[in-house]
Amino acid sequence: MASSRASIVRRFSLILALPVLASCGMVADNEFTRVGFPEPATVEGPGIIELWQGFWIVAIAVGLLVIGLLAFASIKFRRRSEDEVPAQVRYNIPIEILYTVVPLIIVLALFGFTAREQEKLTALTDEYTHVVNVVGFRWSWAFNYMDENVYETGTPGVVPTLYLPVDEKVRFELTSPDVLHSFWIPSFLFKMDIVPGAINRFELTPDREGRFVGKCAELCGQDHARMLFNVEVVDRAEYNQYIASLRAKGQTGMIPPGILPKDETLTNAGANR
Amino acid sequence: MTTLDDRPVTEPTVQRTRRYSKGQAFVNWVTSTDHKTIGYMYLITSFIFFGLAGLMALGIRAELAQPGLQFVSNEQYNQLFTMHGTIMLFLFATPLFVGFGNVIMPLQIGAPDVAFPRLNMLGFWLFLFGGIIAALGFFTPGGAAAFGWFAYTPLSTETFSPGVGGDLWLLGLSLGGLSTILGSVNFITTILTMRAPGMTMFRTSIFTWTIFITSVLVLIAFPILAAALLGLFLDRNFGSLIFDPANGGAILWQHLFWFFGHPEVYIIALPFFGIASEILPVFSRKPIFGYKGLVYATMAIAALSVAVWAHHMYVTGAVSLSFFALTTMLIAVPTGVKFFNWIGTMWRGSISFETPMLWTIGFLTTFLIGGLTGVMLAAPAIDFHVSDSYFVVAHFHYTVFGTVVFMMFAGFYFWWPKMTGRMLDEKLGKFHFWLLFIGFHTTFLVQHWLGAEGMPRRYSDYLASDGFTTLNVVSSVGAAILGISTLPWLYNVYKTWRFAPKVTSDDPWGWGMSLEWATSCPPPRYNFVRIPRIRSERPAFDLHHPELGDDPNTNGQLAGKTH
Repeated sequence: MASSRASIVRRFSLILALPVLASCGMVADNEFTRVGFPEPATVEGPGIIELWQGFWIVAIAVGLLVIGLLAFASIKFRRRSEDEVPAQVRYNIPIEILYTVVPLIIVLALFGFTAREQEKLTALTDEYTHVVNVVGFRWSWAFNYMDENVYETGTPGVVPTLYLPVDEKVRFELTSPDVLHSFWIPSFLFKMDIVPGAINRFELTPDREGRFVGKCAELCGQDHARMLFNVEVVDRAEYNQYIASLRAKGQTGMIPPGILPKDETLTNAGANR
Repeated sequence: MTTLDDRPVTEPTVQRTRRYSKGQAFVNWVTSTDHKTIGYMYLITSFIFFGLAGLMALGIRAELAQPGLQFVSNEQYNQLFTMHGTIMLFLFATPLFVGFGNVIMPLQIGAPDVAFPRLNMLGFWLFLFGGIIAALGFFTPGGAAAFGWFAYTPLSTETFSPGVGGDLWLLGLSLGGLSTILGSVNFITTILTMRAPGMTMFRTSIFTWTIFITSVLVLIAFPILAAALLGLFLDRNFGSLIFDPANGGAILWQHLFWFFGHPEVYIIALPFFGIASEILPVFSRKPIFGYKGLVYATMAIAALSVAVWAHHMYVTGAVSLSFFALTTMLIAVPTGVKFFNWIGTMWRGSISFETPMLWTIGFLTTFLIGGLTGVMLAAPAIDFHVSDSYFVVAHFHYTVFGTVVFMMFAGFYFWWPKMTGRMLDEKLGKFHFWLLFIGFHTTFLVQHWLGAEGMPRRYSDYLASDGFTTLNVVSSVGAAILGISTLPWLYNVYKTWRFAPKVTSDDPWGWGMSLEWATSCPPPRYNFVRIPRIRSERPAFDLHHPELGDDPNTNGQLAGKTH
């Protein structure tokens, strides 16, 4: 009993210690310590990575415990002779209560951590500096830059690029004229479905300049696998230059956003922001 | 009628043998209302569907081994994974539960047949023809359904998926669903009303409990599916607007589908947990540990399973994240209880590793990993990134394949003598197990990593620059091994059929617990010549090992019982 209680304490202190360790840089940051996740490119990213690592630590601890018990039992209690008869034990109430209550405490703790993180990821503020209306259609993307009144669009063959200024909070508003799609930039560690008949919104802040890939992650028919886009996170000057180039090409106004709900409109910040 | 016998009867029950011509045997089978024969037809038919969907999976893995399209077009690829998922879920795993339930459950409760034998027969034929109708889409000009096994609207509407393949899919599955509902009504009635004298509910085997609770879940979930399927059929063919996206129809479909879909994954898991709970005591030579706790855990899983459906919908932005995250994570608790009960059964036992036990250990380790990644997916903040990626594909193959396929083979090896009167070859069985185990983990372990890196599911292709190629090659090699592992199994079945000696004992494993081990292998037409006295949840054990058993009238408290 005492040792199992000690291991619980140890397990919990691990969960609690991990984000601290990670933020102090004591855990090396590479693809293995991120357990496969891409290097994050947003302000929100590190929090998601820490949660993911915490869940993995708990999972590995629990997994090793169970595999260990299984392996131990399989070896220690293997049948040694033909007339061996084990004690016919049927139950042990204290142990059964223990292995009901301990997992309950573990999942409640895990729930606490994830609830806190998801609040941050889904919160909508009015502190954004840009609104981009992402239109997912079969089988490419259009990006309506609502503040600048310009747009860019692509085809499955000519993949469009979404430009975002670094360190500025962006509000994405997702709409579709046809079927479900899902807007996923793996390096942003986030995706949200695009639902015809709804406007799905989320906000995040890219904090690393570079070129990233984006994908449709909800089956949308024949060329689903070709519904790709690129993301360029650039500094403010380059962003302005890009917007000007769209305007110069005459891509002003917006691509029709598709099927919208009857009682909601897109956030059109316009020139007053 | 059954007779109660005071004396322990351990000599094998004599069985009438009569040879039929092939034609007579065929007519006997297709006109049969015997629960065992119908059960065998369910098992055989669902195994054939398993093979077909497995071949589709090999096609998928072949296509994904390298970037670019080598074997199929995008459209054909969509048909392949749609029908792979559809067949595996609806035409393999679900009827497999009905098959095992039919063959084993009446034997375990000491019933001569099920409550409604002809309804049972109707259920099988509805499943067979429903399944054929759904799969026939491949032979229509537009091809089979290609909108994924959860048929999200509006993609599955007539506008985006014209063609009769989708309609065949909808109607075929409606028939199959009706079959499952009828089977469940039958199971519930049988368990409630046809238990042998002395067989109280809390003396029925854990497998019987799982069949009972699963059937209740079916009655909750499948009518919703039927309503959704037929509603979509109306939309497609008669211009109704039930799932019109302008009125929120896209999300409505997801709610209806997953309100069915999540109980469905427990419908196909619980009976196979039940098989594990049958096998572990026999090869640990101990009673199941914490019988009542196991029953309550099963009930808790079933109750929670109807309150978690929207965890499939975190990324839709349309559901309460906290509620569904909490209920989903809570399911880990009763599932963990089951795990510890199974380990408790092995603890201080006398464990031997005949094939059924080996498959069960394979299930425990595989399902464990699936359960742990399930807790991760339950966290919305993590799910936002990995939802609809290969991480999810890996997760549900660990849970569903780990449970259904591993425990199907465990059940086959375990009950083969009971069903056919012959023992499968142990050596071939172990070879089969290791080949499948290695093939499975090679295929799916790396897919966790692919998904975390950013590979979406349902993509026919990926770019060389994505960096997914190496792990996809590993996965495809694993799939080839997994496919090849079926060959020793089929050879084993053939070899056993032709050359294995007849089983002469009622209980060839020697430590059988539940009542099916107290009748002949295979059992006679109405199952029992006599029913032993039932004074605990392991009447066959009490009968064959009176000195160790739980019957207060016969046991001599010899073997250090400690309860």
